[in-house]
Amino acid sequence: MSLKQDERPRAAAGDRGSGGSRIAWSTRARARLGRPLFIAGFLALPVTLYAVYVISPYAQAFHIALTDWRGVNANPRFVGLENFRRLLDDGNFFKAVGHNLVLLVLLPLLTIAIALLFAFLLNAGGRAGTRGVWGSRFYRVVFFFPQVLAVAVVAVLFQQVFRPDRSGMLNAPLIALGLEPIGFLSDTDVALWSVLAVLVWQAVGFYVVLFSAGIASIPRELFEAAAIDGAGGVQLFWRITLPLLRDTLQVAWVYLGIAALDVFAVVWVMTAEHGGPDYSTTVMAAEIYRNAFQYSKFGYASAMGVVLFFFAVGFAALSLRLSRRERLEF
Amino acid sequence: MTVSAASRAEVRRERARRLGPLSALTHVTLLVWTVLVVVPLLWTFLASFKSEQEIFGDAWSLPATLRLDNWARAWEQAHIGRYMLNSVVVVAFSTFGTMLLGSMAAYVLARYRFRGNRAIYLLFVSGLAFPVYLALTPLFFVVRNTGSIPLIGPFIGLNTHGGLILVYIAYSLPFTVFFLAAFFRTLPEAVAEAAFVDGASHTRVFFQIMLPMARPGIVSVTIFNVLGQWNQYQLPLVLLTSVKEKWVLTQGIGEISTAAGYNADWSALFAALSMAILPMLVVYTLFQSQIQKGLTAGALK
Amino acid sequence: MSHPSRRELLRSAVLAGIALPVLSACATPGGGDGGASAAPAPGATSAANPLGLAEDRPLEIWIFDGGFGDAYAREIHQPLLKSRYPKLEIKHNTTKEVAKTLQPRFAGGNPPEFINNSGANAMDFGALVQDGQLADLTPLYDAPSWDDPNVKVRDTIDPAAIELGVYDGTPYVLNYANTVWGIWYSAKLFEENGWQPPKTWQEFLALCETIKKSGKTAPFTYAGKHPFYIYEAILTLAAKIGGKEVLRNIDNLEDGAWKAEPVRQAAEAFAEIGAKYLLQGTAGLDHVQTQTAHNNGQVAMLPCGSWLENEQKDTTPADFGYALFPLPDFTSSDAMPYGTLHVQPGEEYVVSAKSANPRAGLEYMRAMLSKKAAGEFMEKVSTLTVVKGAGEGRTLSPGLKSASDALAAAGDNAVWFLFRKWYAELHDEVAAASGQLMNGKLTAEAWAERAQKKADSIKNDSSVKKFKR
Repeated sequence: MSLKQDERPRAAAGDRGSGGSRIAWSTRARARLGRPLFIAGFLALPVTLYAVYVISPYAQAFHIALTDWRGVNANPRFVGLENFRRLLDDGNFFKAVGHNLVLLVLLPLLTIAIALLFAFLLNAGGRAGTRGVWGSRFYRVVFFFPQVLAVAVVAVLFQQVFRPDRSGMLNAPLIALGLEPIGFLSDTDVALWSVLAVLVWQAVGFYVVLFSAGIASIPRELFEAAAIDGAGGVQLFWRITLPLLRDTLQVAWVYLGIAALDVFAVVWVMTAEHGGPDYSTTVMAAEIYRNAFQYSKFGYASAMGVVLFFFAVGFAALSLRLSRRERLEF
Repeated sequence: MTVSAASRAEVRRERARRLGPLSALTHVTLLVWTVLVVVPLLWTFLASFKSEQEIFGDAWSLPATLRLDNWARAWEQAHIGRYMLNSVVVVAFSTFGTMLLGSMAAYVLARYRFRGNRAIYLLFVSGLAFPVYLALTPLFFVVRNTGSIPLIGPFIGLNTHGGLILVYIAYSLPFTVFFLAAFFRTLPEAVAEAAFVDGASHTRVFFQIMLPMARPGIVSVTIFNVLGQWNQYQLPLVLLTSVKEKWVLTQGIGEISTAAGYNADWSALFAALSMAILPMLVVYTLFQSQIQKGLTAGALK
Repeated sequence: MSHPSRRELLRSAVLAGIALPVLSACATPGGGDGGASAAPAPGATSAANPLGLAEDRPLEIWIFDGGFGDAYAREIHQPLLKSRYPKLEIKHNTTKEVAKTLQPRFAGGNPPEFINNSGANAMDFGALVQDGQLADLTPLYDAPSWDDPNVKVRDTIDPAAIELGVYDGTPYVLNYANTVWGIWYSAKLFEENGWQPPKTWQEFLALCETIKKSGKTAPFTYAGKHPFYIYEAILTLAAKIGGKEVLRNIDNLEDGAWKAEPVRQAAEAFAEIGAKYLLQGTAGLDHVQTQTAHNNGQVAMLPCGSWLENEQKDTTPADFGYALFPLPDFTSSDAMPYGTLHVQPGEEYVVSAKSANPRAGLEYMRAMLSKKAAGEFMEKVSTLTVVKGAGEGRTLSPGLKSASDALAAAGDNAVWFLFRKWYAELHDEVAAASGQLMNGKLTAEAWAERAQKKADSIKNDSSVKKFKR
């Protein structure tokens, strides 16, 4: 990076001490003049990009949500809140909202529980006490694998793993044992759990690493002191690990909550009928995409987007309030 | 802590004794998850050498021979190589841009008081909660319209990597700014003040002092952004649709999965999947300690 | 977040929107050039160039890369057009995801000239028509045919092909291939086991029972992941029981159309098949997987269109002997006789009205409708076409022969439905419900209830353009 705008010779800075108030004054003046320029210069590009590509589309989307826009050249008609009224009768959208809420609760819960368990086992469960369990580095590397794969790739992969006949990785042993194969993606009672499983499968590794670092930053002496007091592994976890990881857990909760509201690729690519069978796995993002880009109901889809927007904002506000982290406040 | 070395070792032995059964259980638990993670990947890899008939047969059978032509078909007909290169180019530029612009904005917002600071900061941060699906349709037109700007238009309009890169940057800013602003705020004042006293400009203080000090945070957010942008499926789906040569990897894989449906070339699908998976695992394994350190150093600050 | 800051946030968001008036304005254009489009203005016409194709502008073509592949376009149609217009530049493209790939082009105002809008991911024709995106094909049908200047194009093709492409009295869509649906089986497998194609529903059930008892082969399957394949059969059976108007009422969104007794009977009949005779795992298999199982002898019968043989050519054993039988008589008092077929000219081709060279798109269609092009197409992709007599003197494969014979036998007893194209939403809903019907999770009544509810909601949605037939 060589964006050095200030090429003043070093000597000038060197004689500041002897130069007295003249130099000092000019430095202050430079600073006073330079500051607004600097602030504007640093903000101009990011703010412009953000305004053009993020803010302006969102603002337009709110407007489109009030029209019956079905295509580009058709004249959009203002319909007020008609799209929102229609949403109330849309069983599929309600299913989508329900699924998002299920994911919003269970994705963070399961991911954090599993990741926390593994992080604890990796770090505190080892014999040496300080270095973590034997092979912990190996486990951490492997657990993180799913995280580096693109979601679309993972979705296609599990589509194959979940195949319903003996060509499916999971159903082949079941069939070999003479059991009924499970319709992981074809049974409406099971499909959403398959989606959840894939999401958790992919997410766990990241949080294991995150929590491991958190645990590693807890002073060893605390564990040892507790051990002297006769605390067992489980007690160590509840009394020391968990309370001291509070902050990290909150961060994890927010990330996973936003991820749960934004689920799209896994559902769209992996499931039958893009969110099926029979809408049993559909999510808000999928309904938005379906209505906009398959039914060309841009107005209606935007109304769905507005609903999703309020869910997301609501969740963010809630977690900010709950976390009460000084650092998050400006 | 006045416990002697001897008694400390005693404590450890004692603890090890108590944790003995737990330790065995620990390994069983960890191994179960390892299997859950590795087996689907390994299974995909094996399936990439199978014939159609074998893929439709028993899932746990091994391929009779290593059918490398599956890989050749995936590489040539499904253009996996090209898509991967596209992904690398796009993500490299967009992550660099994100980090440059994001850290500049975050720094100014975190450490300078001026009118509108809070509004701009909130505008960025509120983007964290914006679901991208709401913006999708209008975004398409925004990008299309930028394509008709004189001179630079052809490089940033629809179906250009430039356009996609700018969009990636814009949509990565909220997280980047939020995270780095928090990070910049925690950096000590003293070093920067000393530099100002020495007559350094604001720009110079940023690039030569603050940025290096924020390195752990920068590394961490960079990794977040690389992963996030590499994974992106929805935005290229809308912005790069009509020019296949420009597609990124996620689009390519999605397309092959549909294609397998029509052409029944399942072995090529598995080969393509393996091609998408392997390099990521290799790169990750090579740099895993840096990646994990970066992630944690940043996330825990 | 304090109150003022939230207001500030909103204000800046709004300002950002307003400050970019160009962007905002273009996204939702106020200009009213939507609605019905005029026929594309012709260039200079002549006897040799009756549609006035402009040879100096390129012709961009998008072919859906599905069951037919795209080689037919590159190797048959394009060379034929080139032979008359050697200077014309043809830009050939192919895609498996038509909507995903081309919707943005239409939205962006630079659509390609000629599109084969087919497949599971085709664009919604209703929306395209409503937007005025499609070129009126009347000039094409009134033009002299490629082969004989004294005969109009319209007189060389099956009238149903034109009729099915009509929206609001204007033909916009050319259906080029002709498709018949039926239940497919392997002549060889049936012969070896002494099984006979059933003529009545009782015989059909008995056959399923026999096959089931044989133990080696499952009786029936369909593409469980795409339940269209089964609701197609249900609706065809409904029309056979109750007559053509059953499907017309459904297409026209008539009140209670889905609750008509023949529809319910047909759904119930197939629900029974679903409960007793399906290949294991059917619900999770797609068309290729079920069709491959069919080729491997794991299942005896499946409903499909006449593209099947061609789609499966790489996995079909040489002596498989594809053949189809029409839906059996449900009762002796069916409204339509044995042999009634779901016939639908299909594989839709359109010319975009707002492309740079629409007349070239029309001329391309004229070339496609020549006997030479249609005949070679038929041989190449093993599919019937709408061009009369295109198959004369051509050698046909067993499946195509079977379909062709069934089509000839059906005569006027052809039924079809169009809501799939008109109302994509209704299609999705019926498909989803049909999958559940076959899995035993929905009764025939509940199935009809759901379809009717969706049909009613579309009927009441003023933003959806309605079609009649």
